[in-house]
Order: sequence, then structure tokens, then C-alpha cells
Amino acid sequence: MVNRKELENKVIPYKILLETLQNTYDLVDSILLDNTIPSLRIGLKYLIQIIEDCVEKAGDGLPVVGHHFAFQSEYLDCFDLVPVCIEGTSYILSALLPDGIEKYYDLMRNWGHPFHTCSSQKGVMGMTLDDLFRFDAIICPTAPCDNTMASYPYFKYQANIPMVLPDMPFIHKEQSYKYYAKQIKKALEDLGKIIGQKPDWDELKKHLEIDNKSINSQLEIFELKKAIPCPVENFYNAMSAAVTVFMAGKEEKVKYYDEMLEIAKYNYRKKKHHGGEEKIRCIFPYMLIFFDLGLCEWLDRELGMSILFDIFNYNFTKPIRTTDSMDTMFYDMARKGMDFPMMKQSTDFYYNFIDDCVNLAKEFKSDCFIFTMHIGCKQFGSVVQVLREALRDEVGIPVLMLDLDVGDKRMTSMKVLRDKISLFAQTFL
Amino acid sequence: MSLTNDKFLNISNSIKNSYLEEWKNNKKKVLGYYCTYIPEELFYAAGLLPYRIRATGHELDELADIYMVRFTCGFVRLTLDLALRGGFDFLDGLFVTNCCDHARRMHELYDLVVFKRKEIKQKPPQFYVALPHVINEDGFEWYLDEIKLLKEQIEQKYNLKEIDNSQIKEAINIYNENRSLLREIYNLRTLENPKLTGSEFLQISMANTSVPKEIANNELKRILEIIKNSKDLSNNRKRIMLIGSVVDNINFTKLIEDSGAIIVSDFLCFGERNILDDVDLNGDLLENIAKRTYYRMSCPRMMDDHEKRYDFILKEIERAKVDGVILQRINNCDLHGCENMLLEHELKDLGIPTFNIDREAFLTDTTRLQTRIEAFYEMIK
Repeated sequence: MVNRKELENKVIPYKILLETLQNTYDLVDSILLDNTIPSLRIGLKYLIQIIEDCVEKAGDGLPVVGHHFAFQSEYLDCFDLVPVCIEGTSYILSALLPDGIEKYYDLMRNWGHPFHTCSSQKGVMGMTLDDLFRFDAIICPTAPCDNTMASYPYFKYQANIPMVLPDMPFIHKEQSYKYYAKQIKKALEDLGKIIGQKPDWDELKKHLEIDNKSINSQLEIFELKKAIPCPVENFYNAMSAAVTVFMAGKEEKVKYYDEMLEIAKYNYRKKKHHGGEEKIRCIFPYMLIFFDLGLCEWLDRELGMSILFDIFNYNFTKPIRTTDSMDTMFYDMARKGMDFPMMKQSTDFYYNFIDDCVNLAKEFKSDCFIFTMHIGCKQFGSVVQVLREALRDEVGIPVLMLDLDVGDKRMTSMKVLRDKISLFAQTFL
Repeated sequence: MSLTNDKFLNISNSIKNSYLEEWKNNKKKVLGYYCTYIPEELFYAAGLLPYRIRATGHELDELADIYMVRFTCGFVRLTLDLALRGGFDFLDGLFVTNCCDHARRMHELYDLVVFKRKEIKQKPPQFYVALPHVINEDGFEWYLDEIKLLKEQIEQKYNLKEIDNSQIKEAINIYNENRSLLREIYNLRTLENPKLTGSEFLQISMANTSVPKEIANNELKRILEIIKNSKDLSNNRKRIMLIGSVVDNINFTKLIEDSGAIIVSDFLCFGERNILDDVDLNGDLLENIAKRTYYRMSCPRMMDDHEKRYDFILKEIERAKVDGVILQRINNCDLHGCENMLLEHELKDLGIPTFNIDREAFLTDTTRLQTRIEAFYEMIK
């Protein structure tokens, strides 16, 4: 008979993550003053509950299913399983552990994974190679980038993990949503066959509705950010990225945004800025630097620079209609999937992305943009200069581009990055 | 008779050629494309000359560096640089598909930058087809719809009445003959005593993508006769199969061959991969073109087809009596980088000598590369 410990060991990195989250929470609780970095405190509290639940379920013997971050975990709630977000796991551990998951990047590089290929997959690939994750199946949309297309076959062909690949079209039109809706439904049915379960569509509906409930709070917080000073601390963006990928469809997500909304409203009324004084308003149109989330606090407190939002915090979709028909529900799921952060910008021409950036800059009175050019994201490698020219011509604001690997500190010195940002900031002060 | 300094092979050394100029002088249109995932027959049926964009011989990328970050593909950067310098101003249209992240963004960069230069009097039409990343019936249905839409767009943008079936049939015939001739030539590489080198085949193949196919077919017939009547090449060199990213420059293949080997087989998009499959002439012709393009021997951009590619490579190793495999990728090419990673392990597990390298798009660091390649040959028994 397989014992509980052995079953839990199918998700060893989640056990590491749980311990790390608990230690970080204890540290935050014992060192930071009350109400300091509320998003960190609240987010950690709920993340612990989510990951605890995953480890518990793994111990119960439920199948462990890896999923790409863009195949939202609430879509997997039609099954009893342990969802493991592949990209999310690599980067949350990069953020929390002192040397991130460099060991697993190196393991994978030594195995032949090219240095320029995305670390978000490299980390979990390395952990799988080291037998730390034992997936029963993996589900991954065929988007948003070459790295997804190139790296996931490793799981199938070398690690022999059954894989389901819902195909996401690289163009946004009515037909695309219909096509992807069918792909999602079929993918879930195929996944069910692999793990020996039938999808429970009622359960799926329930979780989609839970996720719907968080949208209003998110939108309200987004609106409040138009205020000067920005009433939400920079770290909120980082935590929201984690919430988006780990808590989708869960009550914890709703609670996180509800609690953050109350804090944002309070700060708004008091015109309170997390760093004391807001001097510069900045948009990160792409990702934050996950291996050094301390940057968020540093920008708030040292430079008085608000990160109004990053890519995980300006893409919102309408709630999914769950009461009309199954077709409508899957159609909305497809639309949500294709408009998910990074998917929206990557699976279409980048004209809309540029327009969005210009409009957001105007609406939110942004002083500048900082574009983190992640080594893995080749689909954005031709965007930055066009964006720079558009923002210069239409809004009159500059863009700072940082070349880096957002999940691996060894590629670029953080001191150099901070120096670059400081020099950039001086041009506004 | 030999292929040295053959006028057709020499076409591969330059971007323009006399056939292309003649075509333009006759007021006929040229359509540029990046990747072999293109329904070429359809464009040809519409009276356009599909021209594969490459940057052979071009080694500057300063202008492209403005628009593409350093993590992007050197091949695409060179072509963009050349385009920004007016190298492709002869194009009357551009076709882009979502083949890879580097090339697919050329749709926007040509639209927003290249075609907006003052030298361009009228912006040429651009075409985009979204190609699925998996191969199955649903994907084919999607792709077929895209191809039908593309046909309408071609007709509309070039003010054509209709691309009719007889035109499509003629184009298919010409293209099938073209691939058949190329296969015949290709097979002369794989003989025990090869008749031509890999570099020569690459030149033939590149030239073939830069001229009208009727002309290419006549040239290929002429070349085939030359090759058949030529002496066998020395058979005491290592027999190499070359796999990976696009190679649009014989400097690299010559380096491999001049170091004591002959490339008897390849799995490249300017090589065998693109000539294996023909279009069926029975039934719905447009659908058949879509079928050929979609179901053809894939490259790593097709996410679920590694097994088929691997099986083909194994058969090809046996058929061409390959001594060793060189896997190569242009720096920052994630698709071939990861595919090569899988192939390296799979081939080595079978005891097949395999060498995996990364390189720049144009030949640099020659000595280091040559030393490594020679060391690999030493390792082959």
C-alpha cells in the first residue's frame, strides 16, 4: 500500500513552496509593522491555504496535473486533481528562495536546454528531471510563444508524461473564440480519459462563478489607481500575478481582492502613498522581475516610483456566462483564455498592445514605461522600439528597456538594473 | 561538366537575379515570404512569384538592431536590416505566418517600418495566415478556412477576377514537378558515391526559391543532366546529416564539408524537409494545397509532431548511410534549440555520433567552429 508521504512526494516542490511560504509569512508577521505591505501579508495567507490544499490532495492520491499558466487552473476544477502551475512554480520559487531555483535551471541547461530558452519552464523541467515532480498528465495551450512550443515536448517525449494540447489560434477574431472553445472542451474530455475521471461541468460552473466574483473588486482597484498618488503599493502587482495563476476559481482569490479593495479605498480617501510621496508614475507593460521582488518596495520607498500595473494587472475580461448554455460558457472561457495576460498580446498582431499602452499611459497619467525584456519572450523582441516611438510621439513619455531573465538573477546584475532605473528616474526629478 | 560557377547556382549568392528582373520588367508581381509554411501554389496561380526572403551575403544588422532586441534570431534580423536598406523594395506583397516568434513579427515591422519608408511609393498588400500548432482534423479545418479566406484576399487586393481551378491546377503541376526534380537531385547526394555536395544542393535549393518555377524546372533538368554525367565525388569523407535552423549561406556548409566531410542528407527548410510532399491533383484542389502545407513534414513549430520527425531522421540516416549528425541552431532559436536537445539524447542513445552546436546566422568564429567540427569527425569511427 502506498503511504501518504510517498504520494505527497509527487509534488516535492510544492512542499518546499509551502514551507517557504509559511516561513516568509512568519517573518513578515514578526518583523514588519502592522499594515505594512498588505498585499504581501494577505496574499501569503491565502497562498498558504491553496498550496496546503494541493499537498493534502496529493497525499490523498489525487492525480497531479501540470498546467501552463495560460490554461487557467479554474478550468481544471471540473476534476478532483492537484493542479501544478508550471511557470508559476518556477517563478514563485525564484522569488522566495535565496538563490531561486538556479540548481534546476543548471540541471536542465546541462541536459541541453538552450540558455536563451524561458526559465519559467526550465525550472520545472529541471525539477521533473530530478524526479521532484511526478505528473500524471500535463495540459498546455499551444501559446503564447516559441518557448512553450519548444519546451513542453520535453515532458512528453523524454519524461513520458501524457500531454493534452488545446490549440489556440494566433489571431483574434470571432472564429478563433469558437475554435478555441471547442479545443478547451475536447482537451478537458481528453484529460479526463487520461486521469480516469469524467469532467464535472457543474463543478466547473461553480468555480467559474467564484472567479467571476473577483472581477469587480479587481476593476475597482484598477480604477482607483488612476488617483494621484496611487493608493496601492507596488507589491500588489507581484502578488496579483501569483493570485491569478494559483488561486483562479477559489474563494481565496475573491477574499484577497475584496480585502485589497478596502485598503485601496482607505488609502485613496487619505491620499496615502505606500512610499510616503509619489514622485513618478510608471507602467510596466510586461512582467516584473520575479527574482527580485524587493524592487517593488525599493521603487516605492527609495524613488517614490509607483508601478501602476504590470501585464498581470491590466488585462480584464467580462465575467463568464454560466447560466445561458454550455456553448456560451465555453465560448467565454475561450475568450478569457485568449485575452489572458500575455496571451492577448502574444497571439495577435501587436497593434492593439501598442494602442492599449498609449491609452493606459494617458488615462493613468503615467510618466514613463519600464519594459522588462525577458530573454525567453522572443514574441516581444520586436515590440519595444515601436512602443517607444508610439509613446514618445503620442504621449511624450520615455521607455526604459531592461534586458534580463526575469527568473534568474545571474544573467544581469541587479545593481546594474537598479542603477539604470535610478538614472532613468533622475531625468524626471 | 561541373556545377562550379553554374549560373543557376550563382543565383543563390545574391538577393536579386536576372529572372526576377525580367519578371518585374514584364509588370508581374513578386510576393516575399519567410517560411515554407506557405500555400505557394495559390500565389503562383494568381500570377505572383513567391520569393523566399533570405539575407545571403548580408552581414550588417545595425538598422535591425533598432527594432529587434539582441535576444532575437540573427537570420530574421539580417533580413530586416536588408529590408530597411531597400534590399527588398522590389516586393509587391508580403506573406507571413505564425511560423516562429521572430519571423511572425515581420508582419508588423514591415507594415509599420519597412513599407513606410519614403522610398516605398505604394504600400504593398500583406497577407497573414494563422497556422495551428498541432496536427489534427480540427486544426486542418481551421487552416482550410484560413486558406479560403486568403484566396479571397489575394483576389481582392490584386483586383483579380477569380483564381480559377485551371490556374490552380497548372500551378500545382509546376510545383509538383519542381519538387520531384529537386528530390531526384537530392537523391544523388545520398548515393554511396555522391554526385554533388550538400553546399551545391543548398545553392540549387536557394536559387529555386528566387526564380519563377517554370524557369527553375528547366534549369533543374539541365543541372540534373550535368550531375548525372559528372564524376562521383570522393567517398572517403565522413557522411554527415545536417539538421536544425535555417541555413541560407553556403559558408557554413562549406566549413563542414571542407573540414573533411560531405553533407549527404539534411533536415532543413532550404533542404529536404520542404520537398518531400506533393499536392494531390484529384478532388478539391484548394483543399489539397492546404493539406500539403498543413500535413507536410513538419518543423519544430508543430508541437505534437516530434515523433514523426524523429522517425524520418532515423530512416534518412540509414538510407543515406550517415556517419554522424550535426545538429545546429542559430542563437536564440528556441524551436530548434529544444528539438536539437531531444534529438541529441535520442540519437546518442542509439549510438549515432551526434554533435550539437549553436551559431550566428552568418559565419563568424570560424576557427573555433572548425576545430570543434574536426574534433567531432575524429570521434566518428
